[in-house]
Amino acid sequence: MTLKEERQQLFNDIYTNKIPKRVPINVSLTMDVISGYKGLNRKDVLWNPKLVAPAVEELAERIFTDVNIFGGNPRYPSQSQALRSTNSVMSSTGLMQHPNVVGLKEDEYDRFIADPYACMWEVILPRLYKELDFQNDPARALFALYQANQAKAEDFRDIVGISRAISEKYGYYSAPMGSGAACYAPMDFITDNIRSFSGMSTDIRRRPDKVAAAAEAVYPFNYLVGKPSIAHAEGASFFPLHMPTFMREKDFAKLWWPTFSRQVNDYASLGIHTRAFCEDDWMRYLDYLQELPTDTRLQFEYGDPKIIKEKLGKKFVITGLFPLSTLTTCTKDECIYKTREFLDIMMPGGKFIFGFDKNPLIYEDINLENLIAVCETVRDYGVYDNAGKAAGEEFHKEDYTHSDSPVFASSRYRTWEQYKQLHPETPDSARPRVEKLEREMLSQVYSLLL
Amino acid sequence: MDFNELKQAVGDLDEEVVLDILNKVMEDGGSEAKDALEACQRGLDIVGDMFDKGEYFVGDLIFAGELMTQAVDILKPALAGTTTESVGKVILCTVEGDLHDIGKNIVRSILEANGIEVIDLGIDTPPQKIVDTMIAEDIHVVLLSGVLTLALDSMKKTVDAITAAGLRETTKILIGGNPVSEEAMKLTGADAWAHNPQHTNQACLDWLKK
Repeated sequence: MTLKEERQQLFNDIYTNKIPKRVPINVSLTMDVISGYKGLNRKDVLWNPKLVAPAVEELAERIFTDVNIFGGNPRYPSQSQALRSTNSVMSSTGLMQHPNVVGLKEDEYDRFIADPYACMWEVILPRLYKELDFQNDPARALFALYQANQAKAEDFRDIVGISRAISEKYGYYSAPMGSGAACYAPMDFITDNIRSFSGMSTDIRRRPDKVAAAAEAVYPFNYLVGKPSIAHAEGASFFPLHMPTFMREKDFAKLWWPTFSRQVNDYASLGIHTRAFCEDDWMRYLDYLQELPTDTRLQFEYGDPKIIKEKLGKKFVITGLFPLSTLTTCTKDECIYKTREFLDIMMPGGKFIFGFDKNPLIYEDINLENLIAVCETVRDYGVYDNAGKAAGEEFHKEDYTHSDSPVFASSRYRTWEQYKQLHPETPDSARPRVEKLEREMLSQVYSLLL
Repeated sequence: MDFNELKQAVGDLDEEVVLDILNKVMEDGGSEAKDALEACQRGLDIVGDMFDKGEYFVGDLIFAGELMTQAVDILKPALAGTTTESVGKVILCTVEGDLHDIGKNIVRSILEANGIEVIDLGIDTPPQKIVDTMIAEDIHVVLLSGVLTLALDSMKKTVDAITAAGLRETTKILIGGNPVSEEAMKLTGADAWAHNPQHTNQACLDWLKK
């Protein structure tokens, strides 16, 4: 069996309720970290991702991980600056960041609730992206959107080029094409770039009914964007979970949890899994997580590994929790000891993938020798002697029922029937393509509001 | 006027009751505005305690900051010209390389409600700008905020710049935000650290009153 086949088998075992041969290692590094390894200027690299290719290759040679070592970057200046973004900005030190921004004012909730997608185009995007002033300077807005898409495509081409080359050479695992997607939980979506973190914190107390109505209104849109093209045991829709740990439980239960839980259950009824990054410390919410569909992948940042494993380890695939700070605060021997200690807690019964509590942001967040030692310890120590045995509970999509939430509709979304009226000569065989093009605009808008 | 009720309402983050009492305080032009402000400040102590106990969370602190900004705005016309003086001036900023300002803004609201004058230098603040402002404004308390792990490095650079300018011995420096800890305080060379804005407030009051 080649290393690539072994990796494929490891993840497949994890996702099909078997104990794998060894613990899979999910460690990758962003471009910002890789730039630091070679002393490259972060700003140059963000504008020309190809600069990191040699460094990626060197790190792939040195670090043992089962997924692609090259993690790309979540934000690029070529796109955001073409649009004069306020929600994705480069710092003086060359790191793309997301400041606290308000896309929707507190007195505009009703407009959002009535037609979220139209409100995004008409109100939110022009407010967050200074070049998207459709009303006063539509020509410039058109140029900006075109340039941003062009820039995005160029960056994507470079990133995928590096990624594919390294994956082929080192035999990394990846889930089947089309089986992955990503979105926020509905209330996180209306928080992050729409009402802002601080705006939502006051809305929860001042206008909870509007918050609940907005989360409901955006659900059909959120559902469509977060739904992978194909359902597959190894695929998942990824949700980074933002707000809950900053909320009181009663607000969480009433405002945040219902739409998230519904979306995850709706997907489960279609055989689609969810991968959730429980940001910050979710220990007070473990009972809620317990209600999620079997085999939901839960990545934790802080928390007690023993309790999490004990309460959730049989039903869910657990990852994260290993403190990244170990790499910079411990000696190599201490790192190895702590890794073994951690594996002793997390390995029994399977359903566990090794990963850090958070991704390193810059090269100084890791000590490379220690990172290498940790990964090799997981590879060599994280071996099961009962590989192939059943692991925990099994997922069956028939156990879940799809909700009757409304289907997505908007005054800004052209349906096939409307299209056909405008272009009657279009054959029915063109329908998937026409609908795909219209739907891509949803993803486009969503990506601008991440 | 029942200022205990006001204190408790601030502690409970009960906006309706707080605003109702404050508006009543202002009905006679605000003869008891100073007492009302003090009650609000004591209410913030309750908020800080609840945060320490894990009964309030960051979202509640944001709301507390918002509530105090409103309270000060209501009382301000009556406070002007009274004996309520500024306790002193501090510099507050998010350090170089970091664009996050939610925590900084909460701290600003809480400090201002406690009579502290805040020179807010914003986000991504270069060390030299902080040093220049310290000299120009004669400020000896500096509050450095950050969310990213790299903020610790910038905090250290800022402390070093203050030392290099010969100002360290007469300056108190507090670091705040997600990555700070006792260990980070030692690493950066700061004098104190805080996750709870009430602790930041208390440190500032202690330093400024000395």
